[in-house]
Amino acid sequence: MWGPALGLPPRLTLSVLGPGRCCILGSGASMRKDLRGRNRRGFSDFHPQPLSDLDCEESPSWVSKSRSEPTRHVTSKKLAKALVGTLLGHYRPSRQLLLECNPGPGILTEALLKAGAKVVALESGKTFIPHLESLRKILDGELQVVHCDFFKMDPRNQELIRPELSSHKLFQNLGVKAAAWSAGVPLKIFGILPSKYERKILWKIVYDLYSCASIYRYGRIELNLFIGDREFKKLTATPQRPDLYHVLSVLWQVACEIKILRMEHWSSFGLYTESGHLEKSKRRDPLHQMHQNLHLVRMTPRKTLFTENLNPINYDIFFHMVKHCFGKRNAPLLHHLRSLSTVDPGDILRQIRRNPGETVLRMYPQDFKRLFEAIEQSEETVFKWVYDESLDDIVI
Amino acid sequence: MSALRWGRGAAELGRTLRCSGRPRPGTEEGTLGGLWGPRRSSSISLCEQDGQKDWGHAELLEVLEARVRQLQTESVVDTNTKRVQGAQPLQGHVCSHWEKKLEAERHGLQQRQEVLQGKRPVGLQSLTLRLEPRIWSKKLAGCLQHAKPEAPGNPSKEQLARALQAALQKLGTQEARQPVRPKAVETHILLLGQRLMHFLQCCLVTGHLPLAHHVLVTHHSKRDKQQLLTLDMYNTVMLGWARKGAFKELVYVFVMLKDSGLSPNLQSYAAALQCMGRGDQDVHIIQRCVKQMVREGFQLEQLFTDLALSEEERAVLLRALVKVEPAFSPPVQAPTPTNTSPLLREIYAKDIPVSYPKLHLPLETLQRLFQQQLQVELSTNVRVQSVEKAPQMTKEVTEARKILQSLRTQWEAELLRALQQTKATMASEAHDGLPTLYPFLCLLSEEELVSVLMQVLQALPPQGQPLLFLAHNLGLRVLNRHLVQQKQGGSYVQELSQHYSKYLQLLAANTQVSSSYLPRQYWEALGPPQAPQQQPWALAVVLQLGKELAELLVRAVQMPRSLAAPQGACRLIPVLYHVYSFRSVRQVGILKPHPAFTQLLEMAAEPTLTFETTEVPMLCPPLPWTSPHSGAYLLSSTKLMRAMEGTTQHQHLLEQCPPEQLHGALDALTQLGNCAWRVNVRVLDLVLEIFRAKGCVRLGVPPPRSEAPQPLQPRPPPDSSPVHKAELRKEMARCLKAAREMHSLRSEALYRLSLAQHLRHHVFWLPHNMDFRGRTYPCPPYFNHLGSDLARALLEFAEGRPLGPHGLDWLKIHLVNLTGLKKRESLHGRLAFADQVMEDILDSADHPMTGRKWWMEADEPWQTLACCMEVAQAVRAPDPAAYISHLPVHQDGSCNGLQHYAALGRDSIGAASVNLIPSDLPQDVYREVAAQVEESRRQDAEEGLRVAQVLEGFISRKVVKQTVMTVVYGVTRYGGRLQIEKRLRELSDFPQEYIWEASHYLVRQVFKSLQEMFSSTRAIQHWLTESANLISHAGWPVEWVTPLGIPIIQPYHREAKVQVKGGIQSLTFTSSVDTNQKPNTLKQKNGFPPNFIHSLDSSHMMLTALHCYRKGLTFVSVHDCFWTHAADIPVMNKVCREQFVRLHSQPILEELAEFLWVRFCSGASARSLKRSDLALIAKLQETLQSLPETGTFDLSQVMGSTYFFS
Repeated sequence: MWGPALGLPPRLTLSVLGPGRCCILGSGASMRKDLRGRNRRGFSDFHPQPLSDLDCEESPSWVSKSRSEPTRHVTSKKLAKALVGTLLGHYRPSRQLLLECNPGPGILTEALLKAGAKVVALESGKTFIPHLESLRKILDGELQVVHCDFFKMDPRNQELIRPELSSHKLFQNLGVKAAAWSAGVPLKIFGILPSKYERKILWKIVYDLYSCASIYRYGRIELNLFIGDREFKKLTATPQRPDLYHVLSVLWQVACEIKILRMEHWSSFGLYTESGHLEKSKRRDPLHQMHQNLHLVRMTPRKTLFTENLNPINYDIFFHMVKHCFGKRNAPLLHHLRSLSTVDPGDILRQIRRNPGETVLRMYPQDFKRLFEAIEQSEETVFKWVYDESLDDIVI
Repeated sequence: MSALRWGRGAAELGRTLRCSGRPRPGTEEGTLGGLWGPRRSSSISLCEQDGQKDWGHAELLEVLEARVRQLQTESVVDTNTKRVQGAQPLQGHVCSHWEKKLEAERHGLQQRQEVLQGKRPVGLQSLTLRLEPRIWSKKLAGCLQHAKPEAPGNPSKEQLARALQAALQKLGTQEARQPVRPKAVETHILLLGQRLMHFLQCCLVTGHLPLAHHVLVTHHSKRDKQQLLTLDMYNTVMLGWARKGAFKELVYVFVMLKDSGLSPNLQSYAAALQCMGRGDQDVHIIQRCVKQMVREGFQLEQLFTDLALSEEERAVLLRALVKVEPAFSPPVQAPTPTNTSPLLREIYAKDIPVSYPKLHLPLETLQRLFQQQLQVELSTNVRVQSVEKAPQMTKEVTEARKILQSLRTQWEAELLRALQQTKATMASEAHDGLPTLYPFLCLLSEEELVSVLMQVLQALPPQGQPLLFLAHNLGLRVLNRHLVQQKQGGSYVQELSQHYSKYLQLLAANTQVSSSYLPRQYWEALGPPQAPQQQPWALAVVLQLGKELAELLVRAVQMPRSLAAPQGACRLIPVLYHVYSFRSVRQVGILKPHPAFTQLLEMAAEPTLTFETTEVPMLCPPLPWTSPHSGAYLLSSTKLMRAMEGTTQHQHLLEQCPPEQLHGALDALTQLGNCAWRVNVRVLDLVLEIFRAKGCVRLGVPPPRSEAPQPLQPRPPPDSSPVHKAELRKEMARCLKAAREMHSLRSEALYRLSLAQHLRHHVFWLPHNMDFRGRTYPCPPYFNHLGSDLARALLEFAEGRPLGPHGLDWLKIHLVNLTGLKKRESLHGRLAFADQVMEDILDSADHPMTGRKWWMEADEPWQTLACCMEVAQAVRAPDPAAYISHLPVHQDGSCNGLQHYAALGRDSIGAASVNLIPSDLPQDVYREVAAQVEESRRQDAEEGLRVAQVLEGFISRKVVKQTVMTVVYGVTRYGGRLQIEKRLRELSDFPQEYIWEASHYLVRQVFKSLQEMFSSTRAIQHWLTESANLISHAGWPVEWVTPLGIPIIQPYHREAKVQVKGGIQSLTFTSSVDTNQKPNTLKQKNGFPPNFIHSLDSSHMMLTALHCYRKGLTFVSVHDCFWTHAADIPVMNKVCREQFVRLHSQPILEELAEFLWVRFCSGASARSLKRSDLALIAKLQETLQSLPETGTFDLSQVMGSTYFFS
């Protein structure tokens, strides 16, 4: 070994590297700033900051920030009724467990219970809990209320969140048994993605899915999610919409059967503040993204997702490959493969019957899987991938 | 009618033209608008209107004008010039295509001329370089052209003189109209300018002056490119010609400079005069030049005082000046005045005779050591034998080494070829007028560049390295090597040797020199050799060069697909891969070696490590610090103040401040660096034994890779479920992560131990420099006394001192301190304890690995062991008082930050808790805080607070210690909570579900009780924060001067993204270095209190160091931990306390307030400020006036406090 100065990074922090491995849901400095700004505006009247706080400001993470975001809930009875039909489908209601995330005022919960479903309400807002508890008493239905935030459950970087509850513990408490991947859908989850973190949450869930972690340890759990317009379009995009087609589209479409159940205008939902009050959308200038439609999407993991060549052991390489290919989307696949793999890229492309000059925009999601498996199968060398776990910041 | 008016307008315009300047980069006018100067008189606008009417006329004129210009440059007199001039304003927008055409034609002609004159530079045969500029100002162009009617392109002397005269003349009218340099220039313009400037400088250095001139001319001749040119660029090229005595070329540049509307500065005149001095010019020209210079407000003396000139240049300059003024003699350099700081009065007092300590080595030895160090630095790197256990020389290992060797030979050849190709391309691009990297690639010989590349390739870690780092590293290596080589040229090395050997007379043990000189003073008195002027490059340029070289590596280095197969039989594949890594939202380009290559390296297990010279301690006493950039290593450049790469503002401050102001810091650093060290061989042997075996985590010896955890089941059975595979992966990832961490720890230890082994039989020195707050650090990174317990235990003083009457006691106390067992005992108690466990101590010393291993349980086991050995030897010596001890004994400040705060605020309660007041037993602030927190917890628990009840029995000193310690240095509640959370997690019986709440609760309590105990601390912190807040909001970074006189500026600015484009990937880095950038208010504000306190503790340390030196002590420090020989502890303790009292007897806060007032408030009204800024200033004034109130603590009590530093 020569020149040890290179072995250890030099004593400088060019910020390109950042603070090392950050989580997918990491919070940025800009957010911090925003929050302080908001706090000053919002609370300065009746929460004068004590002197000592000047140099020891609370630095909130993403977790605490979202608390002051208004949350969306189903408030119209009509919509609730319609949703009951879509969600429960043809099943005999009582046979399957349904987890409802952040039911808030519980309009939908009520409707579901009335239809005879077995519901677990996962509520993150403390203020709604008493109301939901009372709902259980009134209706005497099969309802359990749990105080937790489904969308932040099992953080991938083990950061401390509140309320602290892991899916493992939750499912244990609920008595849910892990089902084999090849078995049917063990339970359904319904929720509305918090508008500001849609992308982050979709990323987190797709990581969980491929690594069989969090809820997916319990089998092919079906998600029914309301997703905003933008993310929905990206999620379902194919090469035919090159502007929307992206890494997430590929990963989700390879992993799940995605079915669009219905579309609803944002105004059909109620906005609630942290304190549990319904917000008048007139008073508060609604955020731009709130003007969109929300799409209810059913995402069922494919039985055939995991194969001998793509499985929770090497999924991260697959992720990296897709990300790399979309990093310079106009560069030919051949170029990407040269950076990605030590296997002869020409041979591989011939195997999957692709032109060397083609770009990602000619590759449908399943083509990526095929490409990946072709490289995995190749017998040419011991080292197939240039990829190294340290390259990406997947936190185990 | 209109023609008549037009004529008049033209005449007027002609006049305006003559005196209008040209806008500099960044002024509002666009390129074309700028053509005619920023100011237009009303008469011109009139004529403009007319011109628009007569458009056809104008077009004709435009053609004529362009033709005239062409003829001018072809050196033909055109009598119509004056008439056509008037048409110029009319054709500003339409003339471009004509100009282009003619430009091309002219260019061709010029080339032909140059060919004829045989002026083409050597090595660039097929291309010609431009010499003659295109002059935009009619008058200047006229002069230049008048100058050479008979021989185109080859003007006679007088004609040149006339041209120069004309250029000088114009100054009179232009003086007052200097365009104001705009404040903020766009980043990319700035970058382009930087790049061009470095290009020109580099051309000068590498002897490509004609190329520099060519590029300058090319830029000057194009309006859009001309904007980039600055005065410094013209001056640089001019200086180049001046050094060669090339008068004609110099005049061209001077005329260009004038032509672009700039006014020459002192440097320009110096260059011109220098050239005249060389060329033996006519007296009149020199006179003219001098006269104009004086008219511009420069004095002749300034040429010698304000500019950095070499001896030879001064002589030449003087020759020129004496011609004009025979009586002139350069001002005698006034001796630097002595430092006037009251704190340093004693140090620099001339009347008290003192004898500073000498080194323990004789002159001859030191001279030999100097030669050794010089050889090391000349050879640019040091090869060190690795202490890793050598592999068994199996067939595979030999085979791997053989393959590696043959591959390297191939790569070197391939790299050389690729490098030559790149250079050729770049050279031809440079001839198109682009400031390429060509001269940079010429800095080092091709072989040397290749060897740099090979070294970097070798050291690339298996997981790869961001291209940004690699490029930076490569660029810096080239720069550093070049700087060393520059010093090698000429007579510098020889002069240095001579001076150094005289200097050693002061330090050596066996010489007689009146030693009332400090080393720096002596060095300066010797009249030290002048090092060549060296300018570091801008970060962007470093990166650009580095990236080019990195790309060369990627392109050129290849290996056969299968290493086993006979070479040449199979296809080649690249060794390096350019991959993107995805980190959160960022995408980072990484160069990663092929796994097979990594495997080959591992298999070969080559036994040598290569270090840069600056990474290895010095073998002779470092050069004394004499200025912000000279000192420490003999040839390698070291900065007095270390900082983020590319930061310049503190350098400016340091250079601006009067030299005597820095003397305190320079002398303190010199003295710290002059301490001679040696390796504690016995400890090293024990460590190596463990290191080569399995390591030991508890003792801080990292285990080898073979000890890394292995996954239980490497391959899953084929039919296992996805969940099972996920589990397996998790375990694999865990193992991999552990292995990685182990690997990096192991390599660090390997470097440290290998260096220790390398220096085993040597005496060595650790040169020091400081950070931007004045805290001092040793320069060599891997092996120094600042590191972990293990690192410190490996070092001892090279010079021994007899223990004397109390030395043994201090050794024993030190030993007990290191164990951490008796923190609350008095010194007597500790001493008694040492005697009590003497048997364990002796056992540890005699049988460290086989005995009772008492030392292993200590807080600092290795230092404890070293101390045990020393104590054992001392007690067994016939006369312990005469035993020569080499072991450094430490005295630690107890919570030093709070000590400074308490002293600043004269806070009695606070002072008592951090041992500023004498007491029988050491006070422990952490325990006190813990007690107070416990008290309020008890109250809360009684009131039924759940979390307070849960915490019962868990609040200990350990839980709060880190937070208390760091609060002084500005830890926030957020950070404090994380620290406490970590401590609570370590408690196995603490109910983990309460961690969040409990840590939140505790951090609040800790802050509260600190606020109560250190009320004045909070007030001062608040005052500092508030001032910084106002200053930074008004748009300045916070600055201050330490009591010792070091100017400090906080380098926190809002970051600007800078991009280096092109090649395999654009490199983006954030730079927070430009002085024009706005400060980052949050960082300025939060950073001020801790940085200020650090500047105080560093001042205290430096004062102690200087006064200890005066008393003949060996002294080194690790910030607030002071080291000396056991015998000298009482003296050091006394000095330490005295200096603390002296320091805080100064009106520190008052002086700070006054400084800030003068710097930021006074003159605020003169600056045109916005109303909001004025309000901020007013508020700042108010804050600065209301200093925090101080308490009643009597500072002199510190003198009697035993546990102040203990």
